[in-house]
Amino acid sequence: MPYQRLHILAISVSCLMAIPSARADEKGPVFESDIQPVLARKCGKCHSDKVRKGGLDLSSIAGIRQGGESGEAAVADTVDDSLLWEMIDGGDMPPEGQDPLTADERELIRRWIAAGSQSEKPAENVITQHDVLPITLLRCTACHGARLQQGGVDLRTPAAMRRGGDSGPALIPGDPDASPMIQRIESESCPPRDLLLKFFVKRPPASEVKVLREWIATGAMEVDVLPDVATTDPDPLVSSEDRQHWAFQPPVATLEAESIDDFILKKLTENGLEFSPEAARDTLIRRAYLDLIGLPPSLSEWKAWRNSDDPDWYRKLVDQLLASPHYGERWGRYWLDLAGYADSEGGVSDDPVREVAWKYRDYVIHAFNSDKPYDRFLLEQIAGDELLDYENAPVVTGEMIENLTATGFLRMGIDQTGSRTMNFVPERLGVISDAITVLGSGVMGLTMECARCHSHKYDAIPHRDYYRFKAIFQGALDEHDWLSFKNRSLDVATPERRKRVAEVNPPLIAELKKLESRLKQAVSTAQIETLRQHYQDQSEADRKKTLAALKIADNNRTLPQRILVENLQRAEVIPDSEQPATVLEARLVVNRIEHDIEQVRQKLEPPLEIRALWDRGDPSPTYILRRGEYDKPGQLVGPGVPSVLTDGRTPFVAEPPFPGGTPKTGRRLAFARWLIQWDHPTTSRVMVNRIWYHHFGTGLVKSLENFGVKGERPSHPELLDWLAVEFVERGWSIKHLHRLIMNSRTYRQSSRVTEERQKLDPQNRLLSRMPLRRMDAETLRDSLLFVSGTLDDRPGGRPDSVSVNRDGLVSVNPTSDGQWRRSVYVQYRRTEIPSMLETFDYPEMGPNCVARTVSIVSPQSLMMMNNEHVRELAAAFANRVQAILSSQDPVRVDPVAAQVDTVYQFALNRLPSDVERRIGIDSLELLQTEWQGDRHAALATYCHTILNSAAFLYID
Amino acid sequence: MSEHSTPPTTRRDFFARTSDGLLGAALTQLLCHDFFGGTSAFGAESDAAAHAAEPAHNLVPRQGHHPAKASAVIQLFMNGGPSQMDLFDPKPVLDRMDGKPFPGNAEEIGNQSTADIGVMMGGQYKFARHGESGMWMADVLPHTSQMADEICLINSMWTDHPNHDNALYKIHSGRLFMGYPTLGAWTVYGLGSENQNLPAYVVLNDPLGPPKNGTRNWTAGFLPPTFQGTRFRPTGSPILNLKQQYEQTSAVTAAARGLLNQLDEIHRHERPHSPELDARIESYSLAARMQLSAGEALDLTREHEHTLAMYGVGEQATDSFGRRCLLARRLVERGVRFVQIFLEEQPWDSHVDLADNHRGACLRTDRPVAGLLRDLKQRGLLDSTLVIWGGEFGRTPTSQKSGDVYTGRDHNMQAFTSWMAGGGVRGGTSYGATDDFGHSVVENPVGVHDFHATILHLLGLHHQKLFFKRSGLEERLTGFEVPRVVTEILS
Repeated sequence: MPYQRLHILAISVSCLMAIPSARADEKGPVFESDIQPVLARKCGKCHSDKVRKGGLDLSSIAGIRQGGESGEAAVADTVDDSLLWEMIDGGDMPPEGQDPLTADERELIRRWIAAGSQSEKPAENVITQHDVLPITLLRCTACHGARLQQGGVDLRTPAAMRRGGDSGPALIPGDPDASPMIQRIESESCPPRDLLLKFFVKRPPASEVKVLREWIATGAMEVDVLPDVATTDPDPLVSSEDRQHWAFQPPVATLEAESIDDFILKKLTENGLEFSPEAARDTLIRRAYLDLIGLPPSLSEWKAWRNSDDPDWYRKLVDQLLASPHYGERWGRYWLDLAGYADSEGGVSDDPVREVAWKYRDYVIHAFNSDKPYDRFLLEQIAGDELLDYENAPVVTGEMIENLTATGFLRMGIDQTGSRTMNFVPERLGVISDAITVLGSGVMGLTMECARCHSHKYDAIPHRDYYRFKAIFQGALDEHDWLSFKNRSLDVATPERRKRVAEVNPPLIAELKKLESRLKQAVSTAQIETLRQHYQDQSEADRKKTLAALKIADNNRTLPQRILVENLQRAEVIPDSEQPATVLEARLVVNRIEHDIEQVRQKLEPPLEIRALWDRGDPSPTYILRRGEYDKPGQLVGPGVPSVLTDGRTPFVAEPPFPGGTPKTGRRLAFARWLIQWDHPTTSRVMVNRIWYHHFGTGLVKSLENFGVKGERPSHPELLDWLAVEFVERGWSIKHLHRLIMNSRTYRQSSRVTEERQKLDPQNRLLSRMPLRRMDAETLRDSLLFVSGTLDDRPGGRPDSVSVNRDGLVSVNPTSDGQWRRSVYVQYRRTEIPSMLETFDYPEMGPNCVARTVSIVSPQSLMMMNNEHVRELAAAFANRVQAILSSQDPVRVDPVAAQVDTVYQFALNRLPSDVERRIGIDSLELLQTEWQGDRHAALATYCHTILNSAAFLYID
Repeated sequence: MSEHSTPPTTRRDFFARTSDGLLGAALTQLLCHDFFGGTSAFGAESDAAAHAAEPAHNLVPRQGHHPAKASAVIQLFMNGGPSQMDLFDPKPVLDRMDGKPFPGNAEEIGNQSTADIGVMMGGQYKFARHGESGMWMADVLPHTSQMADEICLINSMWTDHPNHDNALYKIHSGRLFMGYPTLGAWTVYGLGSENQNLPAYVVLNDPLGPPKNGTRNWTAGFLPPTFQGTRFRPTGSPILNLKQQYEQTSAVTAAARGLLNQLDEIHRHERPHSPELDARIESYSLAARMQLSAGEALDLTREHEHTLAMYGVGEQATDSFGRRCLLARRLVERGVRFVQIFLEEQPWDSHVDLADNHRGACLRTDRPVAGLLRDLKQRGLLDSTLVIWGGEFGRTPTSQKSGDVYTGRDHNMQAFTSWMAGGGVRGGTSYGATDDFGHSVVENPVGVHDFHATILHLLGLHHQKLFFKRSGLEERLTGFEVPRVVTEILS
């Protein structure tokens, strides 16, 4: 347990416990006279009490004993164990380029440590309330804190400790033995054994008890320490040189260019290149559709655009697609990746479902469709709860609901804190850290998470900046006053919604209850029947015992119970084709009831519940955690943003947003407002880069999540800045960016790679052509559904369920009319990602996904070739082709050629080339022969092959 | 510019002849043969394709960092946490204290909850020494104990979490949380595969159901998905979608594949310098080869009767696990790099009736495991195949109350036993020691990172040199702190 050591005049500590190292009369080097001057000279630039690089202050014996971010003291009992000596001896310190220690100086330091690192003054380690509070927060305040004051005791402040509770003060200054809090801890009556797991508390180790004892023994000293925050003095660890890094300077638009093409062409010309020719019209149509809405054009849309004689047709196409409700479904999905959206909590094997996460999904889709300005979008998602005082409002408004729903943004990470055993402080810190990572990687372009355990290795993000940043969220995500996912939701709704839910749901819920009990019965019947059929010798009693054993957790079953259950499992996995009819019938009953249940569920009004993040007004203090470890507290810090993104002279000021209303810290609101300032160095750049990435497959800055010094430099820095400024000046409109990009010549280029372009621009960093791109998982699945005419395009609401078959294949259940909705509306339970999407690189959200992998692996081919569902979609596609053809003029010269042409129009949005047409005709004839003359089957196989072809999967 | 420019002359001629219909069928067969055989009708182009594929996404065999002892791994994963003091690490003191209270602080026993802690529980089976090395094993392992001189017991394993979920993440991926690549994924990322017709990393699941944590036990995490484990089922279609899930004659399939190949070749030729298209064509071809190879690899009818008997195939208790062990051997023989075998859910997790339940789990696995070792040895494969046996943690010296009986043991993260055999490990070794109760490690502790570093070492990989760059950071299986290769157990 590291003590918080403070510099206090020796006179005031004469009465305190001193570390027995002050033996100034002995021979040997002494800190003050011999060592301190050397350290000040050679190490003081970085390790003074002000700068404290790596958290280390070498200016005082106290600082040396405290050590730095590693949590280890700089000197130990022996020379070899001393970190200070290790760094000096290994030549690591002072670092290269700094004045090195002379041989004499090194020897002096060695001798000093060897002789017990003596100092004149006693080590002025005074234990204060800031050594004690981190302990009581960790061990005591679950019962004696904000929510609960057992025995009237509150252990959150020294004053409250002195005051105590029903049975007198909790501590008696100067007398630890008589202090009830020490007595109770040492007798192990506190924390009580039977409540450890209820409150997720662990007993304090002896080292912590010792700190408590010493603090009380020395008079329960309180010092006035203000939380460490940014001031008007620049942080010495963040230099103005650090701020010179390109991405930490506000973007400035050059006046030398006026369009995307100007910037791109300039570089192309410099490299002896020109734009590629414009892509063919069919290609542009398909590209724009798949890019903006993630679906191909319908036959009539394709024909209309292809035959349009409007010279302005392309611009109109882009506008029309931007106005489509499908646009938000496609581009909102990108944001959901960034947020790490999931419909389950993860972390534990049950993987509990997040019932209303979808409300946030719908919020995002709606925000994109309505082109909500990006600054507002961020403001709502980060601090929606601090915008309007919904708790004090006479009437809850739709806007309040929207704001609160938006805060689901930082609630998407893995959260196991609702589990029976996984809600201790380290797990809670994991949830907080995930939220910080999402903001850092997704919005700020900073690898914030690197500074959780120590100062960032590359960027000027000191350790303290991470914890100041963490303090911003303390009002809502307080690891010492935690809400698990089970109770972290709000039941806030407009009066209309409340009324509707009260009217609609109760009878449906009653019906569900009935159905569920029928289901239970039906499942038992099916199981008994399975046993009867497969184990005819088994006694009826054993069959009943089997069902009883199923109710016991598998690891609590006796061996006979296990064997019974195994027998049942063995019988159940026998394929349907070998099951007796009575078993299949019994299962059919189960399926029917399940279907009925689903039908009733769909009629339910969504619950009022909102998966929100809200400030609770009374945050615990935030301490730096040395090495990121929950039980190694360091300095007290207050809220703040990474200094390197500021001018270093402007303190971070958070004010309660509702004076006289609901108490809230206003910290996230202040953070969000800082983030969306027009000249913020990374906010606009990061978003513009992401939009660019989704259009072109590569960002102007390749490392989307890292704009720091280890991130990639932009390929076109001036273009990035120009776009960033344009974005902000046009009211943070994302749709404006799409227009700018998609109407550019750059975007309209062909994707063909010539020998010359390959040579001069092998990676296409100059954008000498449009890249060829593979459909992502959702586009592929949605396009298959669309082409086969089985897409149900109803938006929003509860996610569509999935089922897992015995092979582990996860498939999406159809909607009530036998179709399927878009992939964005499928349930994303972390342990049940639909196989098709997973196979095509749907990511594991950990905690989010800033850029998806594009893999090319054989399971994809197997999926497309062999999967039953894909084959059924191909058959449905063939039906559509036939329906279209039979509705047309029956007198066609070549009906087979017409089939080929129609298939190409539907699936690939173009006509086949002559070669492709001839191959198609030949193949259809061959297939018809192989199908014994079945024309329809032949066409279905042909359609299936086209859906498998590279031309379908890759976008030119 | 036309998007559909004609392909190069030779190919145009080729397809022109196809389109007259006369050669159609023959060509289709030819291309189909190409697809199955992997020798492209346009061979030179196909080679170029393999060359151009992105290195990080392929499974081409690669050199390790130093000469390897083992070229393949078979991990026999004992989900649930087998009891060390009942199987491998006899504790006479514990036996003597049977029924007495735990002498220390109950909270130190190690699980989160202390509510249902019972009393000291002596070993449930009889122990004897086996082999020339005199290795201790319990009588419920009559077959494995015959292979004692091939086995290196590590009695001093420990881990960081007493919950199954987290301890499973830890033992497989080195981290306590989901989303990190597993040992198998790191191995094939480091070494690729010797067989391009089969997946490099194969998982053999129990037909009764998935293990706890499901597919997360073999995830590639942030590594490219190529490196994730591919689950083979021992019955039915061994890989998801490996077989057609719909009715269609093979002639139709052949025709369809011929068509696909033609179309994709045209598509590719119109788009030069697109390595992803080459890789895609290759992936379809691998898929087709896999359908053949996997079928052959999984066909146990090719095995001798006495081999089947050695694994216990055909006997009810051992049939399922025996088949999987035998499949593992067949896969390793064919160059598969990493094979993991799981049991359903977690049969070793004996909170109740440990004596019966462990006996049951042994009955299912003991003979197949010994059969595997013997078979590998007889075929000269044991030297190059590392076999690993063990679970995610061990069990407590105290019993656990369940209802009103005290017949099982709780989870113990502070000590457990795993063993290794073959692949450069010194057989007949018992390494490390626990205290008198088998409760915690007192000598030569082997943490999970050390365990992983040692396995990588045997495979010719160095734990520090094997990393993957993510967001500018180097991620490693063994994390930040430098682990220790347990050199004492190497032969």
